[in-house]
Amino acid sequence: MSSNGKLPQKRKLPQLPENEQKLYNLILSKESMGIWTADMKKETGLPNNTVTKALKSLQAKNLIKDVVNIHNKAKKFYMAVEFEPAKEISGGTWYSDGNLDVEFINILRDQCRMYVERFKVATIENVWQSIRDSGVFNTECSMQQIKEIMGSLVLDKELEELNSTGIGDFSRIQPGKKCYKRYKDGGNPKEQGILSSIPCGVCPRLTDCTPDGIISPKLVFISINGWTSRCQVS
Amino acid sequence: MEITGSRIPGSPTERPKRRPRPKKPRDGVFKQVRFPHSGVFAFSCFSMVGQEGISFAVLLMTAHFGDIVAKVCECLICRGSLTFHEIARFTELPHGQVKNSLLVLIQHNCVQAFSVPKTVGIGGPSRVSTLYMAIFDNIIHRMRFSKFHHIVKKDLGDQCAQLLEGFLQHGRLTFQLLYGRASELSGGKAKQVDVLSMFNKLVHAQYVERCPGVPFLELKSDDEVSSARKRSKSEETKTIEEEAMIAAAPSDADRFSGIIDLMTDSGAVTNDKEEESILEVAAGNKRKHEVLEMDEEIQKTINTNEILWRANYEKFVYCLKKKACVANARSRFGDGAAIVLEALMESCDPNIKNLNFVTSSMNSILEGVRGKPGGVSLTLEHVRAILEQLGCQLCTEETGVLYSIVLKDIIESCKNDEAESLILKKYGKEAYRIFRFLTKTGRFVHTDQIIETTFLEKKEAQKILWKLWMDNYLHMEKLNLHTGGRSEVFLWKVHKELVWQHVLDYMFHAALNISQKISEKEEARQVSVGNAEAEKLRKVRYILEASLLRMDDAIMLFHDFST
Repeated sequence: MSSNGKLPQKRKLPQLPENEQKLYNLILSKESMGIWTADMKKETGLPNNTVTKALKSLQAKNLIKDVVNIHNKAKKFYMAVEFEPAKEISGGTWYSDGNLDVEFINILRDQCRMYVERFKVATIENVWQSIRDSGVFNTECSMQQIKEIMGSLVLDKELEELNSTGIGDFSRIQPGKKCYKRYKDGGNPKEQGILSSIPCGVCPRLTDCTPDGIISPKLVFISINGWTSRCQVS
Repeated sequence: MEITGSRIPGSPTERPKRRPRPKKPRDGVFKQVRFPHSGVFAFSCFSMVGQEGISFAVLLMTAHFGDIVAKVCECLICRGSLTFHEIARFTELPHGQVKNSLLVLIQHNCVQAFSVPKTVGIGGPSRVSTLYMAIFDNIIHRMRFSKFHHIVKKDLGDQCAQLLEGFLQHGRLTFQLLYGRASELSGGKAKQVDVLSMFNKLVHAQYVERCPGVPFLELKSDDEVSSARKRSKSEETKTIEEEAMIAAAPSDADRFSGIIDLMTDSGAVTNDKEEESILEVAAGNKRKHEVLEMDEEIQKTINTNEILWRANYEKFVYCLKKKACVANARSRFGDGAAIVLEALMESCDPNIKNLNFVTSSMNSILEGVRGKPGGVSLTLEHVRAILEQLGCQLCTEETGVLYSIVLKDIIESCKNDEAESLILKKYGKEAYRIFRFLTKTGRFVHTDQIIETTFLEKKEAQKILWKLWMDNYLHMEKLNLHTGGRSEVFLWKVHKELVWQHVLDYMFHAALNISQKISEKEEARQVSVGNAEAEKLRKVRYILEASLLRMDDAIMLFHDFST
């Protein structure tokens, strides 16, 4: 695939009727960004039924294809078959047929987490290399993809981003280099908060629960078992 | 107390502070700059305190001193500094009750008095007017007395803790009163010299301080204020309450000087200057000697019967802050980091005026580290690496290389953890990821960028963003890319200052509810039939009280440790 999303194969175009040629030229000019049917009508000035008919014909001749725009799945977008949808349309490498490829993302997250655990401390390059060598995936994952996945693991507090100190667990990594390790508590932020460990702390009805509110704290029943509590209006 | 007159014109208490408005980005046209439901915030002493905080403070006052004192206190918290007559007018209480309430509040360090000049009429004579201001922080500290007691017990032992208890129970005491209490508790066995020695320990460790006076403030004219503002634009203008607190505080030398020698019968003098005085007397100046003896007698009476002492809350807050910072270092970097940070904080010069910045030399840190369990195994190289990991900065001074750390950064990290945990529990993992991303970014971020980074479906992300915004955890801006066109995008940001304020208010609300539940359980226990039921209620109360103390840890993080 070329940098503008164009596929390498070239072919001879059949002779097209005037309307179809006009539409095809417009769609082709939009390259990997594609074009919405409403915009086609506006730009060519062709009536509705003519555009619909021409699009069907072009699709039948395998000259154009419809693509899903992740930002608005109801909008019909068309693109010349030579092109692959741009990231803005398809959502990038994490999307498949206009949907977020959750399964692929989850497997890749598990793999990244596993390699960091195995190395104790790892750089992005270490993880990328390990995943490439493992052969778990049919397609090759780019360094950028691994970087994005590692970023999401850091956001979930499953991994911690640190600079290597060059000693202890970091001895294999050059001092000052960015690396990743598992969180000390195994990435369980639920246990970290004070509010989440006490009655009333994260009660969804706290706003309504006031002495003169819809619920009064004096009238709620709190069943306490150790440090967990269950609160309900009596 | 018989002072009349109206409020000081232009006093900061007349103009409640407004919540800061966020800066607008340069590009585009912004339609909305908002949090959806901004609450009512009252101005109290040094910081903005939400309505829930005020309610909680009033509840504490009611529980400790009754309705009348709580009413006066609430009036001062909500309205700012007031004269005696204004308090009487606003509370609609008889003068006698207002006077007694103020005496109680001042005795327990919940109110500070200060005097200002007041002109009667236009160009009329100037009179002195006394204003009273509530010290919100000191009111809230009342629920932390058990923590303060525990700190002293651990550091200086049971007897010192018992002395501190006197200050916590009675607010302000002279040494004579303190000794009287100690003597009564021990059945007359306590020796004055022993009590003095323990008292001095408390003062030198800065757990006890000399009480502030009633300062007289010279109000600046408008011209002076404006020229001062021009001179130092970077310096923040202090409110009259802040100026009063600074003026009232005794100098550090007086504050923690203690009662050194005048109590002993022998009158042994340890101070160099006084030793010199005695030598001069011995040289034969009899009249001077008599004068000196008389001065000492007067000083002795003043020291024992006149000078008031109280618990120094600042020091206790610092101790609890240290505990929170060390716990944070332990959870983030392990036990080694906790030992090193604790040693660094303990080895630095205890200057409680700068609670956010600690500095120490490597030798002092190492000495501290070696003195702690588990610290012996840490080598110099380890300690150095940990200091780097903790974000310590190196600075070179005449005495050598010093390591310094900004505690504010650690506290900020603790606050982040607490707020994130709240989001996780209330809104789920996806919201937690979005919130963490926006907290780390610290600027306005486009919805699409949030979706890309957090791996969420657009609809789901939009739903979460909306919910967080509705509950005041996010700040949102709508940007019109083409003026007059239909293309508009949403930008999101975690405005930390406002979110922390919101979380703090949330915590005060939860603390208020737990407190009410505790009192309800206690009432139920008192009328309970049977031991089993009473025991069950006692256990529930114990758990609720422990929860309240835990909640207070979180409140301190957001309210007390930031300053």
